[in-house]
Amino acid sequence: MVKAKRKPLEEIKQAIQDYTRVLNIGCGGCVSVCLAGGQKEVNLLNAKLNLVLKNDNRATRVDGFTVERQCNEAFLADLDARVARYDGLMSMACGAGVQLLAERYPDKPVFPAVNTIAIGIDRQIGVYEERCRACGECVLGYTGGICPITRCAKGLFNGPCGGTNDGNCEISKDIPCAWQDIYNRLKAQNRLDDIKKIKPAMQWQNQTRRLVVQDEYASRYKDK
Amino acid sequence: MSSNDQAPINQDEVRRILDQHKDKTKTALRVCAHCSLCADSCFLYHVHDKDPRYMPSHKFINSLGKLYKKKGKIDRAGFKEIEEIVWRRCVLCTRCYCPLGIDIPEMIAIARDICRSQEVFFQWSELEQPAE
Repeated sequence: MVKAKRKPLEEIKQAIQDYTRVLNIGCGGCVSVCLAGGQKEVNLLNAKLNLVLKNDNRATRVDGFTVERQCNEAFLADLDARVARYDGLMSMACGAGVQLLAERYPDKPVFPAVNTIAIGIDRQIGVYEERCRACGECVLGYTGGICPITRCAKGLFNGPCGGTNDGNCEISKDIPCAWQDIYNRLKAQNRLDDIKKIKPAMQWQNQTRRLVVQDEYASRYKDK
Repeated sequence: MSSNDQAPINQDEVRRILDQHKDKTKTALRVCAHCSLCADSCFLYHVHDKDPRYMPSHKFINSLGKLYKKKGKIDRAGFKEIEEIVWRRCVLCTRCYCPLGIDIPEMIAIARDICRSQEVFFQWSELEQPAE
């Protein structure tokens, strides 16, 4: 799922301090799971913000509300009447949620309270590892389930580079070389042929905004 | 799994949200024919060996339906049961299908909304970790 991390308190305060009433909107989806922007985190952040704003003699007051999914308009309807009472909005959702809020309430400034980091896995409570950069051209089937885009510092499709050093990356001896790991895993599976062919250069589809339409549903939208 | 376990339930707020969605809730409860066709569209129902407690209709009737029928007069223990239903047995993937047109995810979302208004919500930080 998407992983995020709350922005520094000072940065959030700077963003909202010129507004009088701010609604901090949490999300019940991915950011709740990664403990960055669910209802619990909304309550905690609001308590801290209201305290520092009061200490700074600012008139800004922050209220909270959490919707089930900020990336789905069906769950935003309950916000409409509420949002009208505020002159600024803050979102603890991922970048997608922030943008959908900004689109739905174009006359309101929307400030992100978290930095969207990655698509990742859960290691421990509050510990997450990036595993996917949503490049749109998945090669995991040929690389032994190790992502060269995420793991390799250079994002090489045909590695390793000349900097690989005893199984570690040239940028740090504490970072394992992704391509060494790919080689080791494929060798253990007797699949080294998978990486002997040269992969063509990546077509960086994520340089432009992508739209996902599942093939089974494409006929519904072909005239739109 | 929920926070603020000791605070009294704010019945007025619960009733306010119930009233806000009264027409939809009443219609959904009346229209549901208990046909169980929604069950097949729920992946959680399938992965839990077709446990009837995972049927979308069961989930909405025993969460929002219960709140509606009891006019919101549910204590914290009751809210705990509803929390279990709307968070542990439903991920709100919105894929469930009702042949009679009931928007079951919307019903679950309203139940969650009511729970959240009482500071009852799933605590991801208390989720048990798998053994290493």
